[in-house]
Amino acid sequence: MAAANFRAAQAANKGKTYFLLASMGLLTGLVVYAALTYFGAGTAGSIVPISVGLALVGVWGSYYGSDKLVLTMTGAKLITRDDNPALFNVIEEVVLASGLPMPKVAIVEDTAPNAFATGRNPDHALIAFTTRILEVMDRDELQGVIAHELSHVANRDTLVSAVAATTAGAIAILSDFLMRMMWFGGGRRDRDSNSNPIALVLSLLVLIMAPIAAALLKSAISRKRESLADATAVSFTRNPAGLRKALEVLASDSTVVRQKSNAVAHIWIESPLDMRAASRLFSTHPPIEERIATLKAMESLGS
Amino acid sequence: MELIIIVGVIALLALFFVAQYNRLIRLNISVDEAFSQIEVQLKRRTDLIPNLVETVKGYATHEQSTFDAVVSARAKATTASGVADVAAADGALTQALRGLLAVAEAYPDLKASSNFLSLQEELSTTENKVAFARQFYNDNVRSLNTAVKTVPTNLFAGFAKVTEREFYEVSDPQERNVPKVTF
Repeated sequence: MAAANFRAAQAANKGKTYFLLASMGLLTGLVVYAALTYFGAGTAGSIVPISVGLALVGVWGSYYGSDKLVLTMTGAKLITRDDNPALFNVIEEVVLASGLPMPKVAIVEDTAPNAFATGRNPDHALIAFTTRILEVMDRDELQGVIAHELSHVANRDTLVSAVAATTAGAIAILSDFLMRMMWFGGGRRDRDSNSNPIALVLSLLVLIMAPIAAALLKSAISRKRESLADATAVSFTRNPAGLRKALEVLASDSTVVRQKSNAVAHIWIESPLDMRAASRLFSTHPPIEERIATLKAMESLGS
Repeated sequence: MELIIIVGVIALLALFFVAQYNRLIRLNISVDEAFSQIEVQLKRRTDLIPNLVETVKGYATHEQSTFDAVVSARAKATTASGVADVAAADGALTQALRGLLAVAEAYPDLKASSNFLSLQEELSTTENKVAFARQFYNDNVRSLNTAVKTVPTNLFAGFAKVTEREFYEVSDPQERNVPKVTF
């Protein structure tokens, strides 16, 4: 998995994201087909659009206002250049390397070292740091962290995760509808009489398993975007050692960010959730040791 | 029927030509923008120098040759134009500044002064910014030069009046090492 250099790593992770997003599309198609088979065109014709609509409203509202919403959810405070000129200097350096516009900068009062980026596009980008990360990291490490966060902005990861969340959300709502309809024994009344029982059982299975599959795909996409952001960060700074040391600092620190809401877990540079509790398949981040190993491989190449 | 097909093909071809032409023009503009970003950062650095020299002079009075080297390198940097000249002057000035900071090492009072510390922070971040602006410029030049040399964009380069551009190269290989400062 250790990709040779940052360009190869970028290409590989982009390719894998497309594959995963395509799988998500395929899964959605499968679910819609299963709903049609099980419920018949009449019922499915109304619950599929309702599920997709609900998911769209929920996710895209938060996507559009992501910079403001996340500020409230994490308790981050916006700061200006005068509050921390040295931090702004390092951010401006990476901004020059990336060619992106200058993002808004925020601080979260927290005893765990962590950082995140959000915003619907580069013009509305926001990057935030916990007070602790600014204390424990030197300039090189901080530069690596900033480059990782700006990579999320450059790679439009808020958009990618919004697409993933919408699909997973729609599938979850659809499956929920199914469960409710089964309790009331309805749903299949308008189906064609020629459906065979195997197709019905298979459709039911698909509808039950789909939310789990969608959640797994969503986590897998998030993990690939993290690896991609590490590779893009190196393309900005050409200094894999900085980010690698920063990740080592994060790995050696066992404190986790106080607010552990699952909803915003994917946006931090290091997962704020306790890894032992969460199964690896559902985790939003690749294991930190694996990320460090990939960066070390890039260092030895001198890229 | 044939007429519709002919018109359709012509329209598609026209769209294709426009896309190639615009891509070249866009790449050319980003190279210009990236170069002006280098110039902005170099300008910021030359603006910092008089202040820095004055501060160091206040403590280190017997280092006239070092000061002269910085002042003359700065003068050359402010008048340089064209990628190669700017790059050469940039390299010389970086060298001279390194000499000045080395001199400062020998004066503990100077190193402790808050004025010098803030100037040093400004200078090192500006050095980093110059280095990154340079890298961004070279990345853009690489994309442009690739487009000028590869099919299909190369067929439109002459028409768009876009040619290969010069990389921004600093002669001293040490220059690539961004100065390290603890945060």
